[in-house]
Amino acid sequence: MFAAGVFEDIFTAILQGTPPGAVYALIAVGFVLTYKTSGVFNLAFGAQAYVSAAMYFKLRVEDEWHIVPALVISVFVLAPAIGLILERFIFRHLRTASAVSKLVIAIGLTVALPALFDLISGFEAVAGLTPVGIIENGDSVFYDPFGLYAFSRDELMQMIVALGAVLGLGLMFRFTSLGLSMRAVVESPRLTELAGVPADRVSAFAWALSSTFAGMAGVLIAPQFNTLIAPDFFNLVVIAIAAAAIGRLVSLPWAFVGGLGMGIFIALFKTFLPRWTDDYAWLDIIEDNLTPAMPFVILFAVLVFWPGIRHAREGTDPLAGVDPPPPAPIASERSAGLTMATRVFGVVFFSFILSLMFFQADAFWIFLVTQAVIYSTIYLSITVMTGLAGQISLCQGAFAAIGGFTVFQMFDRFEMNVLLAAVLGAFIAAVVGALVSLPVLRLGGIWLAIATLAFAYFFDAVVVKFSWVGGGNTSLLQGTRVPRPTLGPFDFSNDKTFFALAVIVFVVVSFFVVQLREGTFGAQLKALRGSETAAESIGISPAKSRIIAFAVSAFIAGLGGAMLSIHQENVNYATNFVPLAALFWLLLVVSLSSRTVDGALQAGAAFSLFDPLILRGELFAWILRSPDRLPSFFPISGKWRFVLFGLTSVQFAKHPEGMLEYGKRKSNARIDAWLVRRRGTGDDDDPELTDSKSDAPVEETTS
Amino acid sequence: MSALLEVEDITKTFSGITALDNVSLNVDSGERVGLIGPNGAGKTTLFNCVLGQLNPDEGAVRLGGEELVQKSVSRRVKAGIGRTFQRIELFSDTSVREHLLIAERVRNGTGSFLKDLTGRGRPRKEEIERCDYVLELLGLRDLATEPIEKLSLGKGRLVEVGRALMTEPSLLLLDEPSSGLDRDETSALAETLRSVQAEAGFAILLVEHDVELVVSFTERCYVLDFGTVISKGSTAEVMADPVVRKAYLGTAPVEESQP
Repeated sequence: MFAAGVFEDIFTAILQGTPPGAVYALIAVGFVLTYKTSGVFNLAFGAQAYVSAAMYFKLRVEDEWHIVPALVISVFVLAPAIGLILERFIFRHLRTASAVSKLVIAIGLTVALPALFDLISGFEAVAGLTPVGIIENGDSVFYDPFGLYAFSRDELMQMIVALGAVLGLGLMFRFTSLGLSMRAVVESPRLTELAGVPADRVSAFAWALSSTFAGMAGVLIAPQFNTLIAPDFFNLVVIAIAAAAIGRLVSLPWAFVGGLGMGIFIALFKTFLPRWTDDYAWLDIIEDNLTPAMPFVILFAVLVFWPGIRHAREGTDPLAGVDPPPPAPIASERSAGLTMATRVFGVVFFSFILSLMFFQADAFWIFLVTQAVIYSTIYLSITVMTGLAGQISLCQGAFAAIGGFTVFQMFDRFEMNVLLAAVLGAFIAAVVGALVSLPVLRLGGIWLAIATLAFAYFFDAVVVKFSWVGGGNTSLLQGTRVPRPTLGPFDFSNDKTFFALAVIVFVVVSFFVVQLREGTFGAQLKALRGSETAAESIGISPAKSRIIAFAVSAFIAGLGGAMLSIHQENVNYATNFVPLAALFWLLLVVSLSSRTVDGALQAGAAFSLFDPLILRGELFAWILRSPDRLPSFFPISGKWRFVLFGLTSVQFAKHPEGMLEYGKRKSNARIDAWLVRRRGTGDDDDPELTDSKSDAPVEETTS
Repeated sequence: MSALLEVEDITKTFSGITALDNVSLNVDSGERVGLIGPNGAGKTTLFNCVLGQLNPDEGAVRLGGEELVQKSVSRRVKAGIGRTFQRIELFSDTSVREHLLIAERVRNGTGSFLKDLTGRGRPRKEEIERCDYVLELLGLRDLATEPIEKLSLGKGRLVEVGRALMTEPSLLLLDEPSSGLDRDETSALAETLRSVQAEAGFAILLVEHDVELVVSFTERCYVLDFGTVISKGSTAEVMADPVVRKAYLGTAPVEESQP
């Protein structure tokens, strides 16, 4: 196997892997810097890199600016400005928030920032216009110092700038007083404040600096891509996380080594795997699919096997206790009268919607509302995972896709009844969910979230490509056809009957979710959410509960994914189930309400109906009774929903029960107080009382 | 008669630091035993080794003759160990009664996942009654539906005790129950514990800083310092031991950090 010249090849691969490795290192170091100074696991780093890269692209390519001003504006003005804004207006206020809620906010920013930039600047990716580097003729002039690998000028710049920046940071840490205060803030912002250092300002500086790193990395790496789109930059972040995880997210030198190593490792892998697969045909599949998935495999492996991670607790300030605790959720109790009134209203409202569907609506609206109901079913999986079990899973899209693909495969191969196949798909998803949870059981909080993200990407890059899953590459867009079902005398191919079926599935699933929540399992999960140590001390097994939660959640997602595929008569993996789509699902659910069935329903409605109803002005036109009088700013770009729901997630840290749930509880309390006042017993309308929370389970209707 | 809890020569090190060094200790049924020592002596580590949050590197932990090392925490809870925490650990978003109810239902094994799904997982009447009985014992009956966040620290500690009692322990580990309580609250807590113990008959192993409480509450006591037992015997004897006095006066009072 070790033919002559193999060492030359190794050396070549090292040279080849160094330029991207340097950029990964730059991101990883910036990432660790933010994590250490503010405890924020900043997934939005990729979004920030994208914004700078897009700004540079716009100025340099579209507006034909000179390199220097374009670079200064995009990297040294825009990037730190974004960092400062994020620190000042969001993360500074969230010091004591849990790492998980900061992660959710970062996910929100991941979704919101690129959309916001595109909307403000009017930027749109144009195929054919490729990004350029920060040096003239970057991709056409080459240097070959060792006679092995020719570096392009772009690659040289990547290495010089990235290594220079990291070196500069190291020197600053070591030799300047600012560097010293930063190192102190990293340990404990509160303690540093006691020593008279303005921790806020130091932390703001760290954000500005790390954001500049992100922007720089974005601009440097952009020439690798043909078209400038945000998801590519998100992938970068996942690579950087893998690099940073090697140093347990806290060691800057290790993050640097990890990033560089990641670039070289991937290059080595790309060089040598094809040769081995010449001898071993069974490796072909791995070769074809694994290369794009390498970063995620590495990340998953690091999380599961790297010794430090298991014991690494989420970074908290030893003096965090001096900050006030987050406010308690508002009372969820309400009077019997109000409960009755809400129920009556709910029944009336949903009867109205149902009758509209069956007697009034045209095919367009039936399609959208059915889709809303099916998405609500999928979102119930997030209700179980996040609302009940308190865990963040970023691979719900993969679970849902398993349901969809099962239906496709079972019908395609065996002509199985699609409803039966849907249930089978849900069971397969449940098994996969349980298996995914096994290696990461000991991880909690953000580590679990990141492991699921790695799995989602692995699924996306490898599993989908297998012909026994996605039906082979070419069929991904249109070939995964699925028919509408029939069940005995019922023919669900009709849009209205299928709508009825979707509603039934949703109601049944919600019923079971409520049963779980109100039963023992729900109580155990509640205990685990409150205090894992204490829950363990009364005999609850966290591992077992978590496996069940994963399996149940995956089951629901699989069922919903199957329904979605049946509804669209195609799996449509690329539009429905990709990892970034699943991030948006999570945001919708947690920003509305992750604890209740209503929350899932509203999130489904928001996902499917917000765009046509609100942004395209249909609702407004209906109110005005004429589409012609609609103001000219309609239709509003669909990207606003990413901005809106992305930024709404910011409130998650303060109100983990969700914005809608919070509003509901608050208005319930107000109405009850008002009712009490009206009856003349003013005693109960004590603000202390209405602001407290109650043990009574949140009452809600399930349909 | 063999002891209820036997801790035999356990050693536990954390990356080079020996937190427990060949510690042996035993507690008989129904006994009240104290475990004292300066901060960082290894008391909480010992608790964690007994309940299984940590596993000792060497040595044995037995309850009623059953070997517990390498067994899961939930298995040990079933074997009969309950505990409270130095830094109070309660389930947010639940009421006082719910705390006990969760523990009760875990013990009973009522409400499996499948029972939940079919709606047969709701609390039974006798389970609620048993919770209320324990609440009565602890004097918490009036607070049964109170949200946990509204309780004072002292009441919170009682809820922890109640929650531990629901698992019907034969041994209750109390980790600094008096920390954060004033003198009156402490003596009220001791009074309640004594009466509940008289009722239920479990043994208590008490980690405590408050020497007064240890003297008045325990019959025997062990003193840990730097991971080794430096003195043991009846509480009065131990308190008079010059070695103990030296260990206590020789260390500065710094905040103990849990390993």
